[in-house]
Amino acid sequence: MSNFLSYQNIDFRFGSQNYYANRVSLSAQASINPVLLNDGSLLNYAPEGAVVGSLSTEFYLTGALPSFLNITGVDESAVMASFAGVAITGLYPKSVSFSVEPFQPIVISAEFDWYGNVALENFDEQRDSVLSTKLVPDYIANGYKSYMTTSSIEGAGYIVSFNYSMTCDRPAFFNVDEKYPFRVAKLNKKADVSIKSNTLGQLLETSGKYAYTNITIKDTYSTTLDTFRISGVLSSQSYEISEGQYLLASADISQTVPELKTLI
Amino acid sequence: MSSIISGLNIKNIYEYDSTLSYNKFDVVDYELVTGISVYPSYTGLGNSGLIAWFNNDYLEDFNTDGSFNITGWKNKVVGSGDLIQLSSDANVRPDIQFDQNYITLKDLEFLSGTGFDYTNRTFFLAVDVIEPEKKVEQKIIKFGTDVSLGSLKINGNNTESSASVLLDADSFYAVSPIYNHKNIFTIIQNSTASTLTIRQNGFNIGQAASYDSQWNSNYFELGNNPKNSGIKYYDLFYFSGILSETEIDYYEKYLFEKYFSDYEGLFFAKKNVPVGEAYSPITYTGKNYWTRDIDDLFKLSYGSSVNFSAKLSPLTMGDGYRTNTANNVNTLNATFDLNYDGLTDAQSKCLIAYFENTPEAPEKSLYEGFKGVDINLFTPYKLNAEVYFKTINHNSSYNNLNKITISAESLFDSSLDYKGMFVVLDEKNIKTYNSYVDYLLTNDVFYFNSDSYAERGYYFYTGANINPPSSSTGPSSKIYIAPNNSPTGINSWFTKDFYFKGDLEYEVNENIRLLSNDMKNSTIEYSKDGINYNLLEFNVGFKKRITQEARAILKFLDDKAGFKTFKYTLPQPYNKIIDVYCPEWNHTYNFENNHDISVKFIEFKNPFNAISVFNTNITLVE
Repeated sequence: MSNFLSYQNIDFRFGSQNYYANRVSLSAQASINPVLLNDGSLLNYAPEGAVVGSLSTEFYLTGALPSFLNITGVDESAVMASFAGVAITGLYPKSVSFSVEPFQPIVISAEFDWYGNVALENFDEQRDSVLSTKLVPDYIANGYKSYMTTSSIEGAGYIVSFNYSMTCDRPAFFNVDEKYPFRVAKLNKKADVSIKSNTLGQLLETSGKYAYTNITIKDTYSTTLDTFRISGVLSSQSYEISEGQYLLASADISQTVPELKTLI
Repeated sequence: MSSIISGLNIKNIYEYDSTLSYNKFDVVDYELVTGISVYPSYTGLGNSGLIAWFNNDYLEDFNTDGSFNITGWKNKVVGSGDLIQLSSDANVRPDIQFDQNYITLKDLEFLSGTGFDYTNRTFFLAVDVIEPEKKVEQKIIKFGTDVSLGSLKINGNNTESSASVLLDADSFYAVSPIYNHKNIFTIIQNSTASTLTIRQNGFNIGQAASYDSQWNSNYFELGNNPKNSGIKYYDLFYFSGILSETEIDYYEKYLFEKYFSDYEGLFFAKKNVPVGEAYSPITYTGKNYWTRDIDDLFKLSYGSSVNFSAKLSPLTMGDGYRTNTANNVNTLNATFDLNYDGLTDAQSKCLIAYFENTPEAPEKSLYEGFKGVDINLFTPYKLNAEVYFKTINHNSSYNNLNKITISAESLFDSSLDYKGMFVVLDEKNIKTYNSYVDYLLTNDVFYFNSDSYAERGYYFYTGANINPPSSSTGPSSKIYIAPNNSPTGINSWFTKDFYFKGDLEYEVNENIRLLSNDMKNSTIEYSKDGINYNLLEFNVGFKKRITQEARAILKFLDDKAGFKTFKYTLPQPYNKIIDVYCPEWNHTYNFENNHDISVKFIEFKNPFNAISVFNTNITLVE
């Protein structure tokens, strides 16, 4: 192992599937507080909760978005990833987002919480033999052919660019005497789209504007890789112009994703 | 469906159906047979062949000698033979059990009779065999005088694929536990077809390979199992002829409803349950899938807490002096708030049903009401504690996300138990003192045994860690604690005092005890109330303490039982050592190695000069 690991020598996978990531960031946070005694002395630093890890990554979309990244779905289970040869088994996805801009490749940003012991000290470069046999992806999502429908967004004109995100909170629950959660639930599931357009029609009402859109992600050869749907409320509008630029209108469409209870 | 369902606020709980599969946390209402039960002597359904019937409904069912030993068990069928014991040898005469609905035949005790010869019959029997130390064949019933033929026996360990039911020489694996467990055995004796079939709790478990004529004998015997621990006979009866499957179900249901109410009611799936009769809650296999043990289903969450308060009758005697009388041997009342967080809807349904069903537990005795819930409490409290669920708070903050807090009360923990009421001497975390130990950790607690009352008790190690256990390797050698450093040594490493330091942040409020003379419409005159008029009553906090220290603090308080006094050094600027007792405290388990403890200390002025002490070791013998 070299003293410094370089990007091109680091492998990043979800499960056994290789992802073409251009950035991976991993961190861990312990929640501690000092314990001070009535004689003024410091007893120790007490843990307030588990060590919570954070992993964020950006990768090119080379096919359909993997199902475990369906943030607004009901599946709460953990994902396994490996980074620089170290397995991280307790990854819980909590947000996915991407931007679509003309002629730009579409990069997926994903954020995860993680729990459990990860042997970070074992980071290592991948072997040359593995590196040399990496497959080149057949498809890469691009803004060139990707689009979103606007027929159900009142007043929306030509879409210049848009961002899509799915987010949720992931509260963790622990049994006594345990440091790792028995459940990491999903709360407050939301999907959002922000758009930039030449116009947005009338000013929104106090209850916003109902908005519905389908987003289709394609590669440069028009192969459909995935679709996303949002049915929510347009809740903010803004207009901006700067020297030498066109007037651009921005809007945010937000959908709270409910989950109907199953009768038991 | 049993009547208990009406007491629940949870819908969609159905009778157990072996043709269905179930998911973990499903709840079922179990009955042996879901049809009707029929009294053996009822003839309305056309059964008139009842030949023999013995049970312990009334005292007049027995003939006894002057010592209330049974000399005869009367056949409830008029004109049929009784089971008798005419021997003058008291060793073979069973005792009558006035307060039970069974008789126990143990060791050489037996009852026998003649006139029981039938070639075709259907025999029903409800028994509970007490588990013997040495597993040998035990006869449940026997026809004829042959040593081994004509008998129903059991043998083996009380485990699946070992516990066996024997018809003569043919052995069949039992489907339900055979020891310390009530069982209904049904024998279908068909000499015409030369078949002998055995059912256990409604399950057909086997048919004998051959039919021996001993089963046709007129001699019938119960008991006579040398050196066994006893067999409890609840009820036995038989009909002439072969009853239909439906009729057999009627009478098995009668026995089940009358004697086995413990096994009826709600069961909870601790794993996914496949389809099949073998997975019924009362079978060996089913016990791996169904439970009534809450620890099989749920684990407590952080945030669980407990409040202790001593039930005392204080007697104030002026000048700040008082005495505290403990009202009974269960001085401390403990109310645990058991926290179950992050539950799915299915889990919360299961837990709420469990909570609501707790009053359906069997009676502990005639005088103690129903049995509480056996549960493993949280660190550092004891395992397998018996508590009563009192209140429940259910909060659902989001779809399929629930938090349930159950308030549970402990009733049976006595301050006379030197091992402790709640933080117990378990020889694991708190050990009996030995001069050789593997390691010593700050705040280790030891019980020091001594003939001297003053020296005996719990001691706390206040030094630095020595030879602490590592996760990878154990201690290489034992530590020797020299007599001088022992709990009672002159340079002791241990203390019996309250040496724990409270939090930096604290509050002390004082009230001066005064006499006042209210001169109406004029003024109030204050005068001092004797001496000791500045007695303190204050709270001390110990927040975010590691488990090791929390265990030591809680053991100290547990040992003081809410009324025993001890020395406490007041913090800056008081810095005075006073006598206090601690009638109330609470503890919250926040996270691993993070415990909050808050205690209430009351200053106590009477000097401790015990005139006599309770210095007798009491051993309970059942």
